[in-house]
Amino acid sequence: MISRFPLAHRRSRLCLAVGLLAVSAIALLAYRVTANAQSSEQLTIYSPQTTYTIPLTTANGQPYAGLVDALEPLGSIDARPDGKKYKLRFTPPGGRAVEAQFNEGKEKGKVLGENLKLPANFILQNGRGYVPLTVLAEVMSKLLGKPAQLHPGARRLFVGDVVVRFSLELDKSNPPKLNVGFSVPVNPSIATEPGHVRFTFHREPVISSGQDTFKFDNPTITGATFSEHDGVAELDVTATAPLLANFADGGKTIIVAAAPPPPPPVATPAPTPQPQTPAPAATAPKPPSIPRFLVIIDPAHGGADSGALITPSLVEKDVVLALARRLQRELINRGIITAMLRNSDVAISLDQRALTSNAARPALYITLHAANTGRGVHVFTSLLPAANLSRTGFLPWDTAQAAFLDLSGVAAGSVAAELENRKLPNTTLVAPLRPMNNIAAPAIAIEIAPPDETVDNIASAQYEEQVAQAIAAGIAAVRSKLPEVRP
Amino acid sequence: MSRRWLVAFAMLALLAVGLGYYALHLRRKVARDAQFAAEQPIVTLAANGPPEPVILYVANDGDGTLGKTTVSVVLPAERSERDRAVLRTLMTQYLKAGSSHPIGEGSDIRQVYLMGDDTAIVDTNSSFADGHPSGVLAEELTVASVVLTLNANDNKIARVKILVNGQERDTLAGHADLRRFYEASNIGQVVKDLQ
Repeated sequence: MISRFPLAHRRSRLCLAVGLLAVSAIALLAYRVTANAQSSEQLTIYSPQTTYTIPLTTANGQPYAGLVDALEPLGSIDARPDGKKYKLRFTPPGGRAVEAQFNEGKEKGKVLGENLKLPANFILQNGRGYVPLTVLAEVMSKLLGKPAQLHPGARRLFVGDVVVRFSLELDKSNPPKLNVGFSVPVNPSIATEPGHVRFTFHREPVISSGQDTFKFDNPTITGATFSEHDGVAELDVTATAPLLANFADGGKTIIVAAAPPPPPPVATPAPTPQPQTPAPAATAPKPPSIPRFLVIIDPAHGGADSGALITPSLVEKDVVLALARRLQRELINRGIITAMLRNSDVAISLDQRALTSNAARPALYITLHAANTGRGVHVFTSLLPAANLSRTGFLPWDTAQAAFLDLSGVAAGSVAAELENRKLPNTTLVAPLRPMNNIAAPAIAIEIAPPDETVDNIASAQYEEQVAQAIAAGIAAVRSKLPEVRP
Repeated sequence: MSRRWLVAFAMLALLAVGLGYYALHLRRKVARDAQFAAEQPIVTLAANGPPEPVILYVANDGDGTLGKTTVSVVLPAERSERDRAVLRTLMTQYLKAGSSHPIGEGSDIRQVYLMGDDTAIVDTNSSFADGHPSGVLAEELTVASVVLTLNANDNKIARVKILVNGQERDTLAGHADLRRFYEASNIGQVVKDLQ
């Protein structure tokens, strides 16, 4: 019999199989012996400026948080390892720079010149500094000059006076209603199942009002439970009948009430043949969603895909994430709603980026890239032949962007004009860039190149800020020309 | 941990290291053989006759432009071989020391396949994609120069697709889409923008 594989292949596979078995056994043993393991846990940080999540890593048997990940969305940060030392300089918006220093493998550091005792060793991984999660609130509080409070079990950290408390008030009229009041408008995700309606607060810093379990003396709405876990808060209302939730008071109140019973069956005469007429429009009492101007920011690459190697120690994925965070702040300052496709060093496939963006129905999609070739900022729209496609129906996946090329061009032109106003060298081009072709919304790509001969300056805080401000101003200027979209 | 566990651990570790090393050795040998086979020059038809003018669209990273230039090259008579020779001339420009648009060392065109009259499939080697500088503009310049150079010298070619080592690939070096066919007329717009 003739083998399909050369001998070297078969021997290689046999060795690999035996080797894998041996390695698995060792890994199992090693796991039992050591307590160190990587995890995919996340921490949600709530601050007056923004809410964001950062990845946590496990070392020395406890969770650790990256200092740059935690601080970058809140200001300008310059952090670099210097041998075993890790020096950090943080400047909050409009504030003065403050410094901190840690030593790899040591349980102490200095923040604003004062000694800080860590509960476990400071660690350096790939040039990034990590502190035990339990001390992160203290470090951030000192650097930001604001109180910071960690809910360690729930993986939630609150910076400044951001917390939102709730109140419950049962109206025992018939049918009974439960009014859940908040100090600010909220927008939780709502899930209903028999006997429960569950509100999950992903972005709102909702915390307990001192009591987590509520029992109501009512046969229909029997109780409620508040809990925090995995970076979210959850309020679970229990009942003996199906429940409905409605928002009132501009989103500051959620009214939970028993769903009306289905109408009793009514005897109807046998249908008589009728001439075909168009069906009347559906009149379901569904509240109309409000059109909004959402900008999706997509920092390219991430995870194992580092993108371009800008310098031996600077990769594209890090440059664009920092720029994306600045851009998000600038857009929020201009009253524009934003969403980031990634806010940490995670890998997302090109198709997944397009799927997520299209599902969010943005008014504008903007992908950020960086390179060390050329100078200044390159603004791209998609290289597709223009097509007269309807924007409301189904669109071909590979050429979805063709239906939006005119609007994409308007957005690109506005951003380029703002770059020009700020005397930043720029070029507007079309490019065969994925996943832009798959985006069913106006879409532009921005590639930043170094501002001058010094390639390292591509990551300078000043340059990033100038570019982010120009892009944000360009988007704000074109807002009235890009249609708002219902979610 | 008991002595028995320690002995088992040590034996398994030794076994894993030994087998791993041997497997790695075999794997490298197979990869070397495959690379050697892939990099073998494909039989090229002999080029005879006088040199002919060849139009090249040469990229410049410094100012992000495509410049048109003409060189004289002896070309084979067979059409797909002519197209391959034209693109190899372009690659030579990029591989020169001090090139305005450097690409990965060892980059080459393995073959140009013609589908019908108007479509060319350009099969590049793995060095071309693996060693290509990453960046939206840098990759776009390469794709545009390949498509336009082909079209300028064989103007029946209106559509071009780029393969890497005979395989379809998502992007050239993380940015430029290689899953699609490029229309020479559409790329022409890029050149107008770039010039």
